[in-house]
Amino acid sequence: MFDIAHILDVLIESYPLFMKGLWITLKLTVVSILIGTGIGLIFALFKISGIKILNWIANIYIALIRGTPLIVQIFIFYFGLAELGISAFWSAAFGLAMHNGAYIAEIFRGSIQSVDRGQMEAGRSLGMTYGLTMRRIILPQAFKRALPPLGNQFIIGLKDSSLASFIALSELFSIATTQGSRTFDEMTYLIIVGLYYLVLVLLFTLLVNMLEKKLSAGE
Amino acid sequence: MKKEMIKIENLKKSFGDLEVLKEVNLDVHESDVVVLIGASGSGKSTLLRCINFLEIKNGGKIVIEGEEVDPKSHNLNEVRQKVGMVFQHFNLFPHKTVLENVMEAPVMVKNQDKKEAEKEARVLLEKVGLSDKADVYPAKLSGGQKQRVAIARALAMKPDIMLFDEPTSALDPELVGEVLATMKELAQEGMTMVVVTHEMGFAKEVADEVVYMHDGQIWERGTPQELFNNPQEERTKDFLSSIL
Repeated sequence: MFDIAHILDVLIESYPLFMKGLWITLKLTVVSILIGTGIGLIFALFKISGIKILNWIANIYIALIRGTPLIVQIFIFYFGLAELGISAFWSAAFGLAMHNGAYIAEIFRGSIQSVDRGQMEAGRSLGMTYGLTMRRIILPQAFKRALPPLGNQFIIGLKDSSLASFIALSELFSIATTQGSRTFDEMTYLIIVGLYYLVLVLLFTLLVNMLEKKLSAGE
Repeated sequence: MKKEMIKIENLKKSFGDLEVLKEVNLDVHESDVVVLIGASGSGKSTLLRCINFLEIKNGGKIVIEGEEVDPKSHNLNEVRQKVGMVFQHFNLFPHKTVLENVMEAPVMVKNQDKKEAEKEARVLLEKVGLSDKADVYPAKLSGGQKQRVAIARALAMKPDIMLFDEPTSALDPELVGEVLATMKELAQEGMTMVVVTHEMGFAKEVADEVVYMHDGQIWERGTPQELFNNPQEERTKDFLSSIL
């Protein structure tokens, strides 16, 4: 079953095909994480705003996303947005972004609340507005603390993007399954695609670690 | 007659069912140093925080430099620019250098030119004796140095009034002196100051008026001479004998 020479052969031979899938996976991941981070930040601010209606909106959003399977969300976005003429790529990207956003909102909320209350008071006592203090004083500190769990969420997001194969997006995983069933060599292709994800995750972890080091400089 | 900088009438503040301030009256004149003393829980920190609107009063009047401030209709950010505050736990911004800490508010709130703000910040750091620490992050400073940076940061907004909330309570004993010296210098320059402290030596030496608070009320007030040497109220006598 684990004929390494064979796996290597197929790996080299299928390399151009997988590169196409890799490109789509990367695009999907980066776009959905960027949008998801924006959504997460907005809903985190809703949650700590102390304004009831905003609290409610954030709570409902997070409950809906966390309470339903990602695959259901992706299909709902796919069928819902297809009617508006939005492509499979963008409906998958929005679906994944909304999904990541809910988890990222909780990460940001926790890290914002972990910043000492005195920081907000110090900013306000200098005549800074709530928004300015949030932007200049609280969020930079909160973001630093959010980085490890955020990195973790990004890794989950990268792997979750494989579910986009269900809506006929030819990202990494769907290349593996189509090639596997075409050649009746599923196991080899599954191992290969697993290796692709593993390398991506390791590279990404490295990147996050570097960023963490850079941000903690001087303190 | 000196200008009235702060006037407080019948100030009330509660946290839930707990009445922390009960009809407090206080007036502070220009260049005066008023020291608030009292046991913990007596309301002195809350009183200070109400003056800066970090706590919003439940009743009464707060007049800052002749203008009654209503938290609902006033721009509190403008009022706070006139009233600097120094905290027990310094609350420096840990992700900014000492210089950036001092420059932050003038640049971001007053839109002061960066170069000019830096020049002024360096003058202030010189004044508190920390010129050589300008490019250091707060984590590298001792408690006394942190508090002196915090004082410089508050002064950078050129406030007319400075509030000190137990500025030396979180310091190691050997670092208290340097902060008190900085505060004394400020008092001698004519800054209007309201200070919550347990440093009775500072109160005796620097205060124009000492205010003893107990149970959310001002129990007794007078010059340091009057209050320390000849307290009229039993409560005040008990408190002073318990700490001296």
